[in-house]
Amino acid sequence: MSILNDRIQALLQDPEAAKVLATVDNQGIPHIVSDNTITVNDEGQIIYLELIETSRNSVNLVNSIWFKRKVAIHLSKGEESYQIKGYPAYSVICGPVFEHYYKLSLERNPEFDLSTVWIIEPDEITDDTYAARKNKEREKHPLITHLDRLAK
Amino acid sequence: MDKYNDVSPFVIIKSDVTRRSFIYTDRALGALDKSKHQYQQRVLIGSNGGENAAVPVSLLLRDGTSIIGMPSKTAKNPYVVDQIDGKLVLTDQGEIVEEVHYWYKPDYYDKFTSSGTPMWQVASSRPQRLDIDPNSHCHFWNKGNGCKFCNINANSAQSEKECNMSKQLTAQDVYETVKEALKQPGAFTNLKMSSGSILSGAEIFDDEVDMYIEMLQAAGDNFKDKKFPSTIVASAFSEKQLAKLYENTGLMTYTSDIEIPNEALFAWICKGKHEEVGYAEWKRRIIRAVDIFGAGNVSSGIVGGCEMAQPHGFTNEDDALKAVLEEAEDFASQGVSIVHCVWVPMHGSAFHNQQNPSLEYYVRLAKGLSDLRKKYLLNVDMDNYRKCGNHPDSDLDRGNLE
Ligand code: SF4
Repeated sequence: MSILNDRIQALLQDPEAAKVLATVDNQGIPHIVSDNTITVNDEGQIIYLELIETSRNSVNLVNSIWFKRKVAIHLSKGEESYQIKGYPAYSVICGPVFEHYYKLSLERNPEFDLSTVWIIEPDEITDDTYAARKNKEREKHPLITHLDRLAK
Repeated sequence: MDKYNDVSPFVIIKSDVTRRSFIYTDRALGALDKSKHQYQQRVLIGSNGGENAAVPVSLLLRDGTSIIGMPSKTAKNPYVVDQIDGKLVLTDQGEIVEEVHYWYKPDYYDKFTSSGTPMWQVASSRPQRLDIDPNSHCHFWNKGNGCKFCNINANSAQSEKECNMSKQLTAQDVYETVKEALKQPGAFTNLKMSSGSILSGAEIFDDEVDMYIEMLQAAGDNFKDKKFPSTIVASAFSEKQLAKLYENTGLMTYTSDIEIPNEALFAWICKGKHEEVGYAEWKRRIIRAVDIFGAGNVSSGIVGGCEMAQPHGFTNEDDALKAVLEEAEDFASQGVSIVHCVWVPMHGSAFHNQQNPSLEYYVRLAKGLSDLRKKYLLNVDMDNYRKCGNHPDSDLDRGNLE
């Protein structure tokens, strides 16, 4: 069962939400792409459509699936913000799933030539809003704050 | 795998499954859906499944890596494909190794050409590649000089007998099948043709060249532009023949297999090629093809591990690997990628009783060949994990693109 709750799944399906995918290369150098077509499938796995097979992002994803390296997805809309980490689980290059998304890409833009459907298995979620992050810090590290905030 | 932790584990699994072969449990065979998966295929070398048995033609791993292999009932230590918790998996000694998928069947497969030929017998399909083998009979066997690892004529005779599959294709069937295949969005990224060698003609291979021209033109009539992503795996043609082929067809890349990158072993294992053309000339012709197709657009396949066939092959893996990689470097430095398949001592080949080398040999070979391409800045888009899928070394290149 997916660890993504209904709200996060709804945000992933929302084309208005901002979605960013971060990967690293074999030297640990990060690489980020912003893509609001990132979505979720019926199994609660994240779908990322790679259009450029030889891109840095694509190569990083290949190395991630080979060497079990996590990727991160940042998801936000308005005040809401989440960070999802997960493992690329499938690199789909053929078959019915590929064809479904190939046609979808063509509908978005007839120029798009889909390379790979990446299926990412989410593994951890963090509420990334300022309030959630600050509350967590206050709870775990009560000594970290400016004193003026505590003044009467 | 721990020792080679910078090599894709999928490549290691693929190499081992190919070298040790695999079998299916009844549960796994029960998961084959004939409406969705491929269970019949025209193949040049290997076997088309035999006796029309409904056996999946091949396997795909989670990262899109293909395993081009056949189940073998006689393998001594095969992997077992099973279905566990609703998923197809490869198991080794009862342990799950990886998830696998059967190859999907393209839409054209169950259709027929206007002459009544089943389209799957005209073009077979790998994930993303359309495979057309217009002539599945090799003339080198006519004088008993076929390559010792190859079973092409035994296989095509069996296919003809059991499936009524013609050894030669017609241009019209090729045209119609390609036309139908292109209707399926996103299904193919390359068209490959291959065939047994045809020695006849005013100059050796002239008739083979003419056959490819006719077939490539028939396939090419379906494309907007003259040139389209395509390759042939053919005999080593002269410069004149290559130029004729390039100018008259949509062909963009070219492969001719050197098979065994060592002159003495080539003379023994590929006796026909050596007697008719010779190792040095076969090699020279492949390298000259770079002048026409460009660096990286010419590759040459080797039957990885066959250099250890006995009694004349290397007996030490380090020596064998050194010899192969040195010769591969000579090719790479002149613009030709060497790609390897895993040698499987096949039924119907002269080497059917032989033993292939260790898994470690194959891991080092794949890494060595891929590293050579990195060193000489050769990309092998023409023969990569998705275009062919038969080369563990070019699968590795996918992790270093850009
Ligand atoms: S040339 Fe050799 S490998 Fe090629 S088909 Fe003929 S016998 Fe087989």
